[in-house]
Amino acid sequence: MSSQTQVEESLDLSKFFDNLWVTIVWDDPVNLMNYVTYVFIKLFGFSKEKAHKLMMQVHTEGKAVVASGTREEMERAVQQLHEHGLWATLQRDDHGRV
Amino acid sequence: MSMAYGPPYKEMIMGEFKGSAAANDLSVALSNDELHILINLVEQLLELLGERNFTHHYQSDDPFAQLMAATLGNLESPIEQPEDPVLRRLLPNGYADPESAAEFRKYTEGSLRMVKQKHLLYLREQLVFPVDHELPKADIAVTDPTQWLIAINDLRIALAVRLDIGQDGFEKYELMKDSDPQKHLHAVYYWLGAIQESLISHL
Repeated sequence: MSSQTQVEESLDLSKFFDNLWVTIVWDDPVNLMNYVTYVFIKLFGFSKEKAHKLMMQVHTEGKAVVASGTREEMERAVQQLHEHGLWATLQRDDHGRV
Repeated sequence: MSMAYGPPYKEMIMGEFKGSAAANDLSVALSNDELHILINLVEQLLELLGERNFTHHYQSDDPFAQLMAATLGNLESPIEQPEDPVLRRLLPNGYADPESAAEFRKYTEGSLRMVKQKHLLYLREQLVFPVDHELPKADIAVTDPTQWLIAINDLRIALAVRLDIGQDGFEKYELMKDSDPQKHLHAVYYWLGAIQESLISHL
């Protein structure tokens, strides 16, 4: 494999990651646990188990990534979460480091 | 997040939901006192959400331009984060970095406000006293449980911010003296939590 190809591949890869955004839900003292689970199921179509697991992650760790996609998709997700009273932000995906 | 603690007063065990959303026969029984409390809260929050007047956006006489301005906000200048802590929580930043947050707010805050007002207006319309004033409770059909849930959640958020209720809120509430003028407002907050929990269990 020539070095030229490697450069192109790494460029493509960085472009791919630049286009990946994530939506983070932050813990707050008001939203009821069952309500947060309900909102995750409603907005993201998660199974009850997955929604519950993510809710518990928000509750115990203070935050959780609940969705990933393009910036536009994540802006829509954040807007919907705000409509439901959840505290959410979006940011570039930095591979698990939030 | 919070657990539901149940109604703080024995006499506040109402707000009972019957039926189920799936069977399309969900209803809630609310006493006149409960209706008064809910109506009061809904109207206060509606007033607060409508407070930022968008008049500076209504430069045009064209109704369509006015609608666009009300929906999208003023697209030329950024919108500051609201000063009121309740509004800051109900209309939070979408990004951690302030510049992106301001840009996001410019395009979304107007419609977010409108959606929240829509839910509250819907709930306000549902809160009707029984025609027969002798009846102790109103039996209200819950035709759109999602709007109920979201509106009640926004009321709880507003109350929690105003009353500074954190993770240890219920412990603090239990230690409050009955003579404390704020105690009944805290009770209303936990009562709303019980209503919300009950509604979720009927979905």
